[in-house]
Amino acid sequence: MSDMGGRGGRSHSDRDKDKDKDKDKAGRRGFFRRRRVCKFCVEKIDYINYKDVRLLAPFIPERGKIQPRRISGVCATHQRALQTAIKRARQIALVPYVTD
Amino acid sequence: MSTVRQYELIYITPPESTEEALAELHTQVQAVVDRFGGTIEKTENWGRRKLAYEIAGHRDGVYVLEIINGPAALTAELDRRLRVFDIVMRHMVVRVDEELAAAERARVRRKSDMAERRTRRGLPPEPTDQERRRHAEDDDDGDSSMDQMFRGGDR
Repeated sequence: MSDMGGRGGRSHSDRDKDKDKDKDKAGRRGFFRRRRVCKFCVEKIDYINYKDVRLLAPFIPERGKIQPRRISGVCATHQRALQTAIKRARQIALVPYVTD
Repeated sequence: MSTVRQYELIYITPPESTEEALAELHTQVQAVVDRFGGTIEKTENWGRRKLAYEIAGHRDGVYVLEIINGPAALTAELDRRLRVFDIVMRHMVVRVDEELAAAERARVRRKSDMAERRTRRGLPPEPTDQERRRHAEDDDDGDSSMDQMFRGGDR
């Protein structure tokens, strides 16, 4: 909780400066923490196409479940769109429902 | 005259299905679309693809995508008819016009926002070629490290 507050309170310039540090190093408290970026916002993808398996693949871990956004860092808007896209792709067997 | 909407129809047939069977199926779809006064905008045959899971004992299937413009009643009929064909292992009809329009709106809005920001800073509204090239280079860096992040995952 405390480190969430720390992140939120940081100013823009601070964040830019810490960009590289945040990216792949462990946080102060010892656990893994990276900068949260929404892939779809960064790459300016407006339409998450359910036919594009290569776009969806990074958000479908081994097991076949939809990756929660607390892990992938996708913003709420895009997570909703992503969810729809993955579910459609599952229906037409482009993406698995479950894999054991 | 009911409203014309855009739909995407995808169906999967067994890998051993013949060209004729596929053509026959296409004419059937075409007939339904015609009857409701719609049009088929595009037909794409993806060919044989691996299925993510087994359907009706098959591990592969032939995918066909049809982009259809037509009224809503069309999809119900299409759905009903496709369920009858043995050759169709799986099909799905999705309405896409609203989503595509929303994406287009977002794109236009982003562009106009950028133009506004740029004019406020006293720059020409469109990025020059030179800037674009530089950004492309920057982007590449960002993308590769992003890719790593996503691939890395947490598990």
